[in-house]
Amino acid sequence: MFDSLLIANRGEIALRVLRTARRMGIRTVAICTDLDAAAPHVRAADASVTVPSYLDIAAVVDAARRSGATAIHPGYGFLSERPELARAVEAAGLKLVGPSADVMEQMGRKDAARKIATAAGVPVVPSYPLDAAAEMSFPVLVKAAAGGGGKGMRIVRRAEDYTDAVAAARRESLTAFGDDTLLVEKYVESGRHIEVQVLADAHGHVVHLFERDCSTQRRHQKVLEEAPAPTITEETRRLVTASAVAMAAEVGYENAGTVEFLLDNATGEAYFLEMNTRLQVEHPVTELTVEVDGRPLDLVELQLLVAAGEPLPFGQDDVRQHGHAIEARVYAEDPFAGFLPQAGTATIVRWPVSSDQALTVRVDHALESGQVVSTSYDPMLGKVIAHGPDREAARRALVAALDRTAILGFATNTGFLRTLAASDEFRDVTIDTAWLDTAEIVEPGVDVARIIAAWTDVAVRAMTAGPPHPFLADGWRLGAPPAPELVALDQVVAVRRAHGTVSHPAGAVSHPAGAVRDAAGDHTVHQLLAEQHTVVLDIDGVRHWAVVDAERHQVEVVHEGQRHVFERPDVFGDHGPVAGDGTLLAPMPGTLLSVDVSPGDHVVEGQRLGVLEAMKMELALKAPFGGTVTSVGAATGDQVQLKQLLFEVSADD
Amino acid sequence: MAADMRDLVAELRERLAVVRQGGSESARRKHTDRGKLLARDRIDALLDPGSPFLELSPLAAYGMYGPASGEGDETDLNAVPSASIVTGIGRVAGRECVIVANDATVKGGTYYPITVKKHLRAQEVARANKLPCIYLVDSGGAFLPMQDEVFPDKEHFGRIFFNQANLSAEGIPQIAAVMGSCTAGGAYVPAMSDETVIVKDQGTIFLGGPPLVKAATGEVVTAEELGGGDVHARKSGVVDHLADDDAHALAIVRSIVETLPVARVVEPAETTEVEEPHEPAESLYDVVPADTRTPYDVREVIRRVVDGSRFHEFKRLYGETLVTGFAKIWGHPVGIVANNGILFSESALKGAHFIELCNQRRTPIVFLQNISGFMVGREYENNGIARDGAKLVTAVACSVVPKFTVVIGGSFGAGNYGMCGRAYDPRFLWMWPNARISVMGGEQAASVLATVRRDGLESRGETWSAEDEEAFRAPIRDQYEHQGSPYYSTARLWDDGIIDPADTRRVLGMGLAVAAHAPIPEPSYGIFRM
Repeated sequence: MFDSLLIANRGEIALRVLRTARRMGIRTVAICTDLDAAAPHVRAADASVTVPSYLDIAAVVDAARRSGATAIHPGYGFLSERPELARAVEAAGLKLVGPSADVMEQMGRKDAARKIATAAGVPVVPSYPLDAAAEMSFPVLVKAAAGGGGKGMRIVRRAEDYTDAVAAARRESLTAFGDDTLLVEKYVESGRHIEVQVLADAHGHVVHLFERDCSTQRRHQKVLEEAPAPTITEETRRLVTASAVAMAAEVGYENAGTVEFLLDNATGEAYFLEMNTRLQVEHPVTELTVEVDGRPLDLVELQLLVAAGEPLPFGQDDVRQHGHAIEARVYAEDPFAGFLPQAGTATIVRWPVSSDQALTVRVDHALESGQVVSTSYDPMLGKVIAHGPDREAARRALVAALDRTAILGFATNTGFLRTLAASDEFRDVTIDTAWLDTAEIVEPGVDVARIIAAWTDVAVRAMTAGPPHPFLADGWRLGAPPAPELVALDQVVAVRRAHGTVSHPAGAVSHPAGAVRDAAGDHTVHQLLAEQHTVVLDIDGVRHWAVVDAERHQVEVVHEGQRHVFERPDVFGDHGPVAGDGTLLAPMPGTLLSVDVSPGDHVVEGQRLGVLEAMKMELALKAPFGGTVTSVGAATGDQVQLKQLLFEVSADD
Repeated sequence: MAADMRDLVAELRERLAVVRQGGSESARRKHTDRGKLLARDRIDALLDPGSPFLELSPLAAYGMYGPASGEGDETDLNAVPSASIVTGIGRVAGRECVIVANDATVKGGTYYPITVKKHLRAQEVARANKLPCIYLVDSGGAFLPMQDEVFPDKEHFGRIFFNQANLSAEGIPQIAAVMGSCTAGGAYVPAMSDETVIVKDQGTIFLGGPPLVKAATGEVVTAEELGGGDVHARKSGVVDHLADDDAHALAIVRSIVETLPVARVVEPAETTEVEEPHEPAESLYDVVPADTRTPYDVREVIRRVVDGSRFHEFKRLYGETLVTGFAKIWGHPVGIVANNGILFSESALKGAHFIELCNQRRTPIVFLQNISGFMVGREYENNGIARDGAKLVTAVACSVVPKFTVVIGGSFGAGNYGMCGRAYDPRFLWMWPNARISVMGGEQAASVLATVRRDGLESRGETWSAEDEEAFRAPIRDQYEHQGSPYYSTARLWDDGIIDPADTRRVLGMGLAVAAHAPIPEPSYGIFRM
């Protein structure tokens, strides 16, 4: 076994690999860019080397050599499927934890992969020669042979669109991959994404670790992944697992890989899509649902064993499936604002832990409170994986785990994931790979979060008020019930702590006190916990967990994964400077040097109306707001008196 | 026959709930329809979120103005709720301020005689405790039908502005927000303030309104042209800030308070931990008989008011009808002087000694007043009870430490003086709903007057039947019964409000907290008659 391993990655996967390596007694070396100098993976590693870029092959190999690492684990993404890295590592006399450069190269090309699949007897999507448009039955999918991630792909539904689509795909492919070879395949309208985890050692043994279903995708990016696949028959399972093993054997695969299939919902047929020559993001669902001799597997450990030349320590018959697991990928993106990437400081980060509610939850992440997230790297912050005896138990555990996930400081997709995992469609497995592109996931409502925000704001104020003081924070009134504490958020909310009620005045209110007096609809609130930003409230008989950060200008709440930011209204900002009545008087006695406008002229705010010379200064007289000049009180060259009317502007309606 | 304390508290709360609404429903609707906040809502919006508010004399004018003033009907005890002005102390931008808010829904916020008294009392509180004053102005000025009782005298309308000038001179900030009319003399409230806000298209300030201007000079002018927000913010300079609406104006006031230099507060030595009394405050309802004639041990009251129910009693075995001792209330050390029966010479001497002690130590004093008077009779007079009573009165009168009086039962005769009645300038004086206050009891007064009359009749050889005597006595008893009521007292501002006994600890804590703003001078006394 290697005694020192360089992990050529960052974020959660670097930490994931590091954990296993450390458990196996292997020294770990991290690489990082200057931006990541204080990142969790750097701090966790035994040593670290700064590289100009995670994609700089020479620097990565050099870092391994300099740090005494004898092997490199590439993780996923970055250089993980680059044959160039494999070659460079080999040339340096080091070992890459992954398949050979040749295998990567073949599998990296869709046309080559397809040939190998056919040779191995693996079903592939019916394809057409590029120039056989006349024989095609539409819809078809035009895709780049070198591609991935949806780039260079076109769905063509009508023969007359074909030529243009091919041209567009070709251009895109050339730009993205430097190669304009295209494939044309039958397009499966409604399909599920099934993939099989395989492991192969250097001694010719290949095993599969069953399949995963990653059909919940958005624009070909996986959102939720699970194992086993909930919709396939035993027959299909046998087909895809056997196909995957055959495929790996055919190509002489070594290490961990994933063979992807498209399951046509219309026909039930499965087609080979591609093979990924690396550890997948979603490998934890396999680790949680597959065991050998009643013990869970560690895919990274097996990767390292295989890479070190050791044989696989078990055979296919030893592998058993056990329960169900679902993974959700937490991203720094705002699903309710066009999935725009988010960046900033993660002021407070809470990940679920298994002890919460006795959940079987695993979290792979590299995000801690106070960490800065930039848009320079992949926006994935971590993965929440829940396991249960069956799919429904796992799904509920995932929902509960996402309820206990809170990232404050910027928007994440956690609330979206939570809503998705809780949806009827996901529960009933009616989702196909295209569903999320058209389905509308409703943004979680704000009402409960507002109650939590207001209650907590008041509670925090009471907690931080200092020593008891008769003039502090209980709204005491002489011979009357205490006045509610008014919390101005997007609405004014009245909190009566002593009574345990929160009132929402109906509608928008500008005059808090008056509206609250008439407010109907009290919510009863009972505080179960409020410490270290974690708040547990019983609201109208339902228990809610939230993380709250009450600051001077805003109250931030994460509830059911969704981040809500309530900005406190700024009375002064809302009112702004008083614009005045549109009358411009001479601020000093002087001479009017110029008059730029005449009555009836339309002027915009700030436009110069004239110039006054006084006390050796030239003063520009500007329109206080847009409107029409209604009068001009003096002419160019006139001597004017103090406060003499010079211009009058009447505002636009 | 006396009502249970719980009934008395329920009655108090009911009466407070009525006046707290302000004017009639139609007047309130008219007010809010114009986008204006009600007086108490303005205060709520001005205060820091969750700030308590120690309202002063909310039942002022209760039962005072009926047909006599040409207003309301005879049975209408609430002809002028709260005397058309809300005053009190609350926290604004982290510091205690005196707030004076006109209630325009009550007679247009005009000043009745008792309104003036209430306004002046608020200023007195501000001066004694060095609290900034915030005036939320919305008033038509003096109530003209009663101008003789409002305008000319020393403690009348003009005194408001005299106080503003002198409070400002003492470094006590004067801040006004003009949120409605501010007419005639009232115009001087914003004008005399250090910093003033006006609400646009709502607040007006002028010495003479449009009708008066027309009468005087024939000039026809609108209120807005004469003295609207724009005029005063841009042209006249009478105000310093122009606000768009009530909420904006109140936010500006809060912002002004934030700019004030930090107040010097004499904090109690120990503020980290305040121990509540060991008995719940509501248990006071059970220990105090509602009938003031029933004796009970006042220590039961003390232990329900002071921190940790701990009371270091002084001279327990001497002059036992006056209980004296040290304790803490909301962390503030206090000396407590409480009646436990009629005052004898020894009690008076003990009280005088203890008050000197408190002054020497600069410890505020709390008087729990329940006194039917000094002992009378030949033996006591001959032994000089008046001389000893005078010592107590001298000590109380010359005290320099903050004094707080709670009338928890009777307040009769010279006992009122020795126990720091209103005339002895306590910082605050509150009454419990069971309290009685008069120069002597109704029965005693009837007896004294009947005896004088009988002596007169008999000296002329006439006789007086028992029926005639009873007919003579009954109206006297009735008068004392009526005038001895705490509601009669509070209506006339003989006190700062009737309180729920369960709130005693709270209001004393508030009083002590604000009193801590003012330094305590060196004590000195007049001649103690030895």
